[in-house]
Amino acid sequence: MSANGKDMQAGARRELGSHTFTKDEIIRFARKYDPQPFHIDPEAAAQSAFGGIIASGWHTVAIWMKLAVASGAFGPGEGASGISPGFEDLRWLKPVRPGMTLHYSTEIVSKRSLASRPGWDLVTIHNEAREADGTVVMSFIGKVFAKRPEGQ
Amino acid sequence: MDCPKYFEDFSVGQKFAFGHYELTKQEIFAFAREFDPQPHHLDEHAAGASMLGGLSASGWQVGGIAMRLCAEHLLNKAKAVGGAGVEECRWLKPVRPGDILRLEVEILELTPHPRRLVGFVKMLWSLFNQREQTTRIVTTPIIAMRGAT
Repeated sequence: MSANGKDMQAGARRELGSHTFTKDEIIRFARKYDPQPFHIDPEAAAQSAFGGIIASGWHTVAIWMKLAVASGAFGPGEGASGISPGFEDLRWLKPVRPGMTLHYSTEIVSKRSLASRPGWDLVTIHNEAREADGTVVMSFIGKVFAKRPEGQ
Repeated sequence: MDCPKYFEDFSVGQKFAFGHYELTKQEIFAFAREFDPQPHHLDEHAAGASMLGGLSASGWQVGGIAMRLCAEHLLNKAKAVGGAGVEECRWLKPVRPGDILRLEVEILELTPHPRRLVGFVKMLWSLFNQREQTTRIVTTPIIAMRGAT
């Protein structure tokens, strides 16, 4: 997803890197943004259906964003602006427990030009977080505005 | 209205309103530095020149604020046991520093689980700012325990 547009074709996939979730960061995120007992209270979580603390689904998605920005997928000078009108079909498929390492990726599904914004495309992307064995833990279909390279 | 507890206590068309939450510039910066360090969330000058026309909160932070309001005021009082995902989220208006946000929740659909003693409560979350503009909508199925009947 670079400014020259060569990575902006359907099927282009980018590995974004990995993140290991610690118990402390899971609790810190959830206290602020998702204060349900199975995210913030180890004793209550142990009694819950999950059997222990799990990360907020919003936390697993926020880490996708962090890695996408860090990898240069979006940002200044890039084709993809990092500004989005929304997303669809976000799935939390497996609980994320302290110590788990997730590997994140993004793949371009399609793009279409925007009649309302000449020179811009809306790019649809499929994003995933997987465990090392390939099990998909989280996925969603994102959308991002991207400036078309000059001359295209 | 009494807060629903079990799956059976919810009904299609029910509406709840929660809030408010005032989002400060410091919180916008703190979230963006950790999770979404793009210029339109961190740099007022660059944000002004962007499509968003000014400094705005990360959409993921806005999502977290809606989640927090729903957790505190509804899910933690009910027998809610998590969510399986989000069908759709639309960011309709940028959320600016100092915006005061409130959440409306509408129950769209109720689907009992075919085998387990839980049900899916599909909710529409609408987050409004102090100008009564809808900044963000989300459709999400929340899993609730069924009552002992």
